[in-house]
Amino acid sequence: MLDKIKKYSWLIDSLMEAKWSTKKEVVHNFLNAKKKYVPKEKTNAKVGDILKCALCPNMCRFDCPVARVGNSEALTPAAKSRIAYLMEMGEIDFSGEFVDLMYKCAGCDASREWCPFDFSVEDLLVGVREDIVDKGLAPKALLELKDKLEKNHQIYDQSLIPPDTEAEKARILYFMGCTARAKVPDVVNTNIKLLEKSGLDFATIPDEWCCGAPLSTLGFKDSFYKFAEHNSRLINKSKCRTLVCDCPECAYVFRELYPKIGFRLKAEILPMNQFLLRLVEENKIKPAGLQGEFVYHDPCALSRKLNVCSAPRELLKSIPGLELKETYFSHRETRCCGMGGMLGITNPEISSKIGESRISELKEVCSNIVTACPTCELAFKNANKDKKVKVYDISEVLLKSLEK
Amino acid sequence: MNTPEKGYGVVYRPKKKLSEKKRKTVFKRLCDIVGPENFSDKEIDKIIYSRDFWPIALRWMLERKVPALPDCVVWPENTKQISDILKLANEESIPVVPFGEASGVLGGMIPVKGGILVDLKRMNKILKINDKDLTVTAQPGLNLMELERLLNKEGYTMGHSPQSIYCSSLGGNLATRAAGQFSTKYGKIDDMLISLEAVLPQGEVIRSKTVPKSSTGPRIDKMMLGSEGTLGIITEATLKIWPYPEKKELLSYAFEGMESGLECIRKILRRGIFPAVIRLYDEKETAFRFYQTGKAKDKCLLVLVLQGDKELVELETKVSQDVCRKHEGIECGEGPVIHWFETRFNVKEASDFAPREIIFDTIEVSVTWDKSIELYNSMISAMENVNGVIVAFAHASHFYPQGVCFYFIFGGTPVKGAEPNEFYTSVWDAAMRSCLDAGGSISHHHGIGLMRARWLGEELGQSFEILKKIKKSLDPKNIMNPGKMGL
Repeated sequence: MLDKIKKYSWLIDSLMEAKWSTKKEVVHNFLNAKKKYVPKEKTNAKVGDILKCALCPNMCRFDCPVARVGNSEALTPAAKSRIAYLMEMGEIDFSGEFVDLMYKCAGCDASREWCPFDFSVEDLLVGVREDIVDKGLAPKALLELKDKLEKNHQIYDQSLIPPDTEAEKARILYFMGCTARAKVPDVVNTNIKLLEKSGLDFATIPDEWCCGAPLSTLGFKDSFYKFAEHNSRLINKSKCRTLVCDCPECAYVFRELYPKIGFRLKAEILPMNQFLLRLVEENKIKPAGLQGEFVYHDPCALSRKLNVCSAPRELLKSIPGLELKETYFSHRETRCCGMGGMLGITNPEISSKIGESRISELKEVCSNIVTACPTCELAFKNANKDKKVKVYDISEVLLKSLEK
Repeated sequence: MNTPEKGYGVVYRPKKKLSEKKRKTVFKRLCDIVGPENFSDKEIDKIIYSRDFWPIALRWMLERKVPALPDCVVWPENTKQISDILKLANEESIPVVPFGEASGVLGGMIPVKGGILVDLKRMNKILKINDKDLTVTAQPGLNLMELERLLNKEGYTMGHSPQSIYCSSLGGNLATRAAGQFSTKYGKIDDMLISLEAVLPQGEVIRSKTVPKSSTGPRIDKMMLGSEGTLGIITEATLKIWPYPEKKELLSYAFEGMESGLECIRKILRRGIFPAVIRLYDEKETAFRFYQTGKAKDKCLLVLVLQGDKELVELETKVSQDVCRKHEGIECGEGPVIHWFETRFNVKEASDFAPREIIFDTIEVSVTWDKSIELYNSMISAMENVNGVIVAFAHASHFYPQGVCFYFIFGGTPVKGAEPNEFYTSVWDAAMRSCLDAGGSISHHHGIGLMRARWLGEELGQSFEILKKIKKSLDPKNIMNPGKMGL
């Protein structure tokens, strides 16, 4: 409080010197004017914050992956907020291209890195998407996706690696996540092998559902609630002390989003690479060696949302012979793979352009790309059209080093 | 759907609208030039391309008004396409508004007469970095931060870092003669430019030679600098770059009053030392930005950043420190400078205060040393005297051996009965009048746009008539960004 008074002393001093009529007007406006510029009805969208973003000169635009690959100014972060604001204020209808724009975001959180208000554009848009859902105006394809998720409990059509059934006793639960299980199953098999080699008592979850990230991102908050309820019930009734997630987005959802809707997991939540580093440090896994250069790509969810940048690097550096390379855009200033925020599903064209742009930056450094997120791996595998690079999950690199 | 046309007010409506028939033909021809994927007449694009960061336009946004709508937007990919667009626009007498990244604060890109909005985003590449010549050649749509990061990656800097570095384009900076926060060492964008390519209003392409200097008559290419899109579109530029600085020194001092701070800076420059950053904040702005710096309480804080070659920086630092001490500057250490680095891009005032109907804006002017303190005092008092102004303060942030740029900030609220824009304009009127009377130039680096247009005549005198004649001869149909700069 004292700091706040100090911070605004310049304004208080100036105000004291002002004429009575000005003083009165300033205080009146300061307290009341804002109400005119937000909707009277309650909305899911944080319209006050959206307005602040809309009034910004677009200070995060240069790092927005969607804006970087797109043509229109409408794809820049503050422009999305301007359209969102006009919709929320009832000036333009929730329809057509205006609604579509609300899904053109890679959820990479790069905006937060540069925002003086610490906003993430994705967070602002999620509220608008929730309003779109509440009004019954969600795009048909997304409603179908939600229905499929509610039916199959995972986002992909492919069959999944079946989970273990011994979960209730194990102290360590491995949450495989639907992207890894359906799209890059080798990663799951690798992780299982690594966990077996460590000799630890671990299990997968018998009835693992999607963490719910797609539902939360797309604004289906009621469905997200059901998924959070299911997963947290299963995890909390087990003996699990550590929940290890292959996908950093799952870890983020468990750690940050579940508690926001009342589901707090009792277990410690760790991304796989952090857990593996711990095993290496405890000598439970001993990398033998692997020759070659590998460039590490920081997944947005891991580096920015979970602030984990050093663990994957330390893990890679623990492998004798491996030469870790860096791109200029790394750590929290990484660049998105294009598949976050459900962009691969809502706007596949934009998503693949972003993937291609990132893979070309990585390619400049060396031909072995290693990452720590199944979604990034998938994006790079899709973008690796000329097959000139090899894309690995960090666990795969570690396992290779053991097998040497 | 509520289209903006029906749903809310469009502030500037062109008197003559394109007929449906003409619209169809022109759009078809534009699609042929740029390709259908690089053309849009969608409502969403028209709304988004309706304004820049002019505070009046921000007010309109709060009132849910759209400043002006272009008829369409195109994203050309090369000079030839731009030339063809301008030829077509001339043939059909349709306005053309070039677009960078819309961070301008004076309404310069608002398509007040509709027409074709030419967004240069797709021309956003670095074409060449020449290490031997220390130059970079780049396209106008390149974002400045992207440019700087790519240069840093290769071991260089352009040294051009305006507060809008995150959200402005190279072309926009050239077209407004912008200045960055490191300008005292590296110069303004005008000083950095070596050569350019541009398309003139009737489609002719000019290209200047990349040489360090020539004596071959007046420089026609330099006319594009500061032309704000009224004389054509810059399509390529070659600029100076520097090796990335190997050493940085951060200094700060507090002074009793602006006069002694300014005098100290003048003496540093007179010694031939050009710190990259020099910023002197008056007492009120010091209290606003550096309230944590106890030693600077009720004083004027000076921030200095010296950077470049290690040995030179060491010497420059020593001399700067000596001069500051001689002028009774109180040493405040690195802390305030680090704080400045951390907060220099926190552009929050508009977002925080506009919805509370407290209006903030900035006005930057330049003046020679001999008139500097008088101009500072008279502009502050002119703004403070406007009914509704709560605060007016300033810092000096771009320096020359001959003078200084003052950057004024005012904040206030319209008192009962006055419209926000009326209040805003009255503060500007007072500031501009006082600047002209004190012998200053009405703009140091933001440009003219719509807001300053009515003072440009007085600023330039007879030269303004010449500018009008040049405009008329290059652009007889006045298609290029019409209505701006009083042209």
